[in-house]
Amino acid sequence: MVTMPESPGFLPRAQLERLIGLLREDGRRVIGPTVSDGAIVYDEVTSIDDLPAGWHDEQAAGRYRLRHDDGRQVFGYASSPTSWKRFTFPPLVPISRVRRDGSSLAFEAVSSDAAPMAFLGVRGCDLAALRIHDRVLSQGPVQDADYTARRRSAVVVAVNCTRPASTCFCTSMGTGPEAGPGYDLALTELDDGFLVDTGSPLGAELAGRLGTRPATSAQAAAAATAVGDARSRIGNPVDTGRVRDGLLTRLEDPRWAQVAERCLSCSNCTLVCPTCFCTGINQRSDLAGQESVSERVWNSCFSDGFARVAGGDFRPRSQDRYRQWLTHKFATWVDQFGTSGCVGCGRCIAWCPAGIDVREELSTFTATQPSTVPLAIPRATPSVADGFSTATVREVRVETADTTTLALRWASDLAAAGRPGQFVMLTRPGLPAIPMSVSRFTDGGIELTIRAAGPASATLASSKPGDHVGLRGPLGVGWPIDLAIGRDVVIVAGGIGLAPVRPIVDQVLADRGRFGAVRLYYGARTPVDRLYVAEYAAWASRQGLEFAEVVDRAGGDWLGRVGVVTQLFDQADWDGTSAVAFVCGPERMMQAAATTLAMRGLAPERTFLSLERHMECGVGLCGHCQMGPYFVCRDGPVFSLAGLGKTFGREGI
Amino acid sequence: MAAATSGPTSPVRPRVGIVKFASCDGCQLTLLDLEDRLLEIADRFEIVDFPEASSTRSEGPFDVLLVEGSVSTAWQADRIVDLRRRTKVLVTIGACAGAGGIQALRNWASHDAWRRAIYPRPEYVESLATSTPISSHVTVDAELRGCPIDPGQLVELLTALLVGRRPQLPDIAVCEECKRRGAVCVVVSAGLPCLGPLTRAGCGAICPAFGRGCYGCFGPRSQVNLRALDRVLDAQGRSGDEKGRLFAGFTAWAPPFRDRVTDWVGAPPRSTGGGDAPDR
Repeated sequence: MVTMPESPGFLPRAQLERLIGLLREDGRRVIGPTVSDGAIVYDEVTSIDDLPAGWHDEQAAGRYRLRHDDGRQVFGYASSPTSWKRFTFPPLVPISRVRRDGSSLAFEAVSSDAAPMAFLGVRGCDLAALRIHDRVLSQGPVQDADYTARRRSAVVVAVNCTRPASTCFCTSMGTGPEAGPGYDLALTELDDGFLVDTGSPLGAELAGRLGTRPATSAQAAAAATAVGDARSRIGNPVDTGRVRDGLLTRLEDPRWAQVAERCLSCSNCTLVCPTCFCTGINQRSDLAGQESVSERVWNSCFSDGFARVAGGDFRPRSQDRYRQWLTHKFATWVDQFGTSGCVGCGRCIAWCPAGIDVREELSTFTATQPSTVPLAIPRATPSVADGFSTATVREVRVETADTTTLALRWASDLAAAGRPGQFVMLTRPGLPAIPMSVSRFTDGGIELTIRAAGPASATLASSKPGDHVGLRGPLGVGWPIDLAIGRDVVIVAGGIGLAPVRPIVDQVLADRGRFGAVRLYYGARTPVDRLYVAEYAAWASRQGLEFAEVVDRAGGDWLGRVGVVTQLFDQADWDGTSAVAFVCGPERMMQAAATTLAMRGLAPERTFLSLERHMECGVGLCGHCQMGPYFVCRDGPVFSLAGLGKTFGREGI
Repeated sequence: MAAATSGPTSPVRPRVGIVKFASCDGCQLTLLDLEDRLLEIADRFEIVDFPEASSTRSEGPFDVLLVEGSVSTAWQADRIVDLRRRTKVLVTIGACAGAGGIQALRNWASHDAWRRAIYPRPEYVESLATSTPISSHVTVDAELRGCPIDPGQLVELLTALLVGRRPQLPDIAVCEECKRRGAVCVVVSAGLPCLGPLTRAGCGAICPAFGRGCYGCFGPRSQVNLRALDRVLDAQGRSGDEKGRLFAGFTAWAPPFRDRVTDWVGAPPRSTGGGDAPDR
């Protein structure tokens, strides 16, 4: 049992070499500051000679320069364009592999093969960033296995900051200049050596092996003065008390368009940020499509395509993307993870080629006292089956010219665990996984109705009986059908949106007596685009299920109604005051339906919508499907209109 | 882009042709440089026309046609239309085919004046007054950017065609690849002019990683903020000539880089002769 010393120790300057040596003796790769390409970058260091003795950085918005003096200080810089996430959350890592294995598909996770690491010179801001990443990537409903393994292996030698840059604002974010919790050792650099604090049993053990002597009171005082000076030099540049509410109450502020004029959408801010975690998932496969590896790769909410789905881009404009970044970092991050996403390291200021200063942008939103925006803490989400498993195509049904239903045989416990409104990630070797709502739960399997919106969905839709596909799920929050028991039910669907509501119909018909009047309104583009036509007669024949449909454009022999789906019930005589509504279709259609339903008396708390967003991972880790405080994959795709509040229907969210 | 084949288990090998127009052949060489992977590709595709590698020629039909080079002569303009009619998936490879290439700088010059100044017998030089991308003449299904193209993107495109998915050719900035590889931003750390923020990734940010600014050989991203980069260049104190030259490279004719070249040298002449040979 190692006891942690109460008082700090002192390490003479030359003994820093001994610390690096000890860490390396333990089999660790030591990552620390070194000079490369005109900047301090974090890279492997093997001796004290690799450290940037006498190098100092000068930073301003869009500008970073190094200069050298004769000093011996090795931590005499403020920050680096590198952040530690390069090592805990590398730019590109393989995460899973699938190969065709005779009559099945073999899915396997790829585990991190990284050697244990030690981080030398972690500032308070960057240590806070590691704590934030721990919460995002290791403490949510689904863990990022690679991050968790790397992070667990890393020894943290922090450095209390005594050389802040003009871009720093850790004091405002409460992360520095002294290092907060989470370090094993913390150093404060003095002229002739380092004050050493221990923060963990491992740190105490290292200090013991180093043989640090107790620091003198003069040394402790000098360290406190140096850190105190740093604090006063930084000041308090950002009024964080108002920032979240200020941002969320001014989503339509003209400032967004103004900053977009200067923004290059180059994504540098997000990539230098030590907490930004958005990633894409690449497929790397052999030409034969027999084996493929999924790779997690850094991505950015500023990139084209980040929020795009087959039907369009949810954030097409630069101002949408800047607003997403800033509101996520400083506002909705708090709802999601109980902490700000910013640590005040200032990298996004210095490394913005256009010199946009986030502190200035924030000051616009904190200038006046904003009204309070209640926290939208996402409800607890169910845990999910880990990874992909194989399903077999049992039957293929052609629905329309571009839409196909696959009936799949799947592990019965997974299929049975699913609830109407949930989705799966669907893949095949060589193909990206795409989110797909379950259109029916069957005995020992599920059905998926796939519209060939792009090449991958077309390939999946062309599957043949006996083919194998990979499924992950069932995922997300489904329709709260229990809430409808004893009430009238209104279902409104548009186009392919009939697929996610069909399991509601199935459930209601299977248990018809428990529901009041049930009405299903369906709109399709043309008569030949209607799904599940053969089932309509059976639906309508059951007592009390009223089915009405409409098309945008009629064909020659169409005798039904033509128009938009809301025309089917905007003049109806039923009262929706106590009813429950389930709506799925294009977002504009759902907006119109929600408005018309409200006029029929439907409460927003009992009006439920299923949203579509770009999803890469399906489990709340990749960041693509965010909408305000929500990850649509994890907190949805089904939301109540009341829960979505003003986020729903707003352009560019 | 439609898949050219019936899937990974199909024994039918898609017929691939590689043709060239006005270009240096460097992109075709990228295919040859794949070396070990080339055999695997030849195993999966039937390469029916590849003048850089084989004397066997084909007039199609092609499941996939890789087109190198820009349209620079009247013959080429007819030829690409003819080839398009016999091709299922037409893919341009490189900055010449995709944007007109470095030779598109002639689009701003007097074609006849240069032709007379350079060639002793200009009447034998049959060329158009312009160098234009393939997409100015026929529908293009996919493009591989760059001067030259990136071998990894070429393999990715061929793999995607076989497997039946969209090729992963992300429309992201060079900056994103620059940061992924851990290069230090040359704009911020050295005050260099760099087209990286406006330019589509795919090269792996080679130039910034070697301490020089990107010169945009992969061409513009689908959305670029030229005025924002103007501000950066102005803050660096760049002259009009420096700024113009930055855009007047391998993808000069690609909108909206084209607008910046025009700002610098003036609008392209309406007609500078050409169409075919000058008067004898």
